[in-house]
Amino acid sequence: MPTLGFAPSAGLAHVLEADGIQLRFGNRVLLSDVYLRVDTGQIVGLLGRNGCGKSTLLQTVFGARSVADASVRLNGRRVVPAYRRPGLLNYLPQAPLLPPGLSVAAAARLLGVDATAALHDFPELLTQLNQSAGSLSGGTARLVEVLLLLHADTHFTLLDEPFTGVMPVHTEALADTMRRVKSRKGLLLTDHRYEEVLALCDAVYLLHDGRLELLADPQTGLRDRGYLR
Amino acid sequence: MLFSVYPRALALFYRSVLPLTGLLSAIIVGADRVSAGLLGTPWPPPLSAGLVLLKLSTFPLAAYLLRRMRPHQYGFYRNLHLAPWQLWAFVAVLDTGLFGGLMTMLHLLFA
Repeated sequence: MPTLGFAPSAGLAHVLEADGIQLRFGNRVLLSDVYLRVDTGQIVGLLGRNGCGKSTLLQTVFGARSVADASVRLNGRRVVPAYRRPGLLNYLPQAPLLPPGLSVAAAARLLGVDATAALHDFPELLTQLNQSAGSLSGGTARLVEVLLLLHADTHFTLLDEPFTGVMPVHTEALADTMRRVKSRKGLLLTDHRYEEVLALCDAVYLLHDGRLELLADPQTGLRDRGYLR
Repeated sequence: MLFSVYPRALALFYRSVLPLTGLLSAIIVGADRVSAGLLGTPWPPPLSAGLVLLKLSTFPLAAYLLRRMRPHQYGFYRNLHLAPWQLWAFVAVLDTGLFGGLMTMLHLLFA
């Protein structure tokens, strides 16, 4: 069983860093020269074109993908695979997260989340607490998954396309929830809705040709590189 | 709190793989029944090391098939800090124990 010792402590700042991540598929270099840093109290965006390796990088940081020489550190201390450390981080993959037969309430209990508090800003979701995850629409299931992970007691949350399928009317409320949650944790997210991500993020990384670059001025940097008009 | 979560998470995973591991157990029992009929040996046999090893050898196949059919199934459990090997170790122990119990019961009832 995992070792204990990373129980979140409110008010303390934590730093999650990842580097040394190199990955190639055949002759194609997917990731090289990667350094990533997320602090608690920060929302960090990870942008890039389809297939450039954003999801692979998140999986590697989480520990779901094993990469030789990858170093993931909490406050300078190596934590690989990171997901084995309770209270350190959680991760929303692109694919559906919750087992289809599990009810929303049961999933929340397993994740150690107060479901009523987590779904408080979305009253229509509260009526679906006892429904199985598999019976929810794609957008609703996505919203529930994001909210449960955001409210889980971890230092960091990694979100791979959290806005996908979420109704526009809910997008702004979800962004507000993320802004509130960041007071006690660090968020690392990737999404193709650049405008929403830029409005939300304190720092933005661009993954391009396998290299990760921290953009000093995200709007200008993305426009200069042809990612924004 | 964590240790109260693990049994429920492991039980949830076991329920999700039970149809496949149960099918593989049924194939072993069926093949054993057919071979006993062909060789004229008594059936059901007592539980033997060979039968247990045969059952254990099905878990890599089950893990492979489920990885192909449900490649994202481990995401939820990783968020509960459980690695795939921990999930499968639990399944192998519990499922082999149940298989052994079933074979012993069949032997005591019908042999």
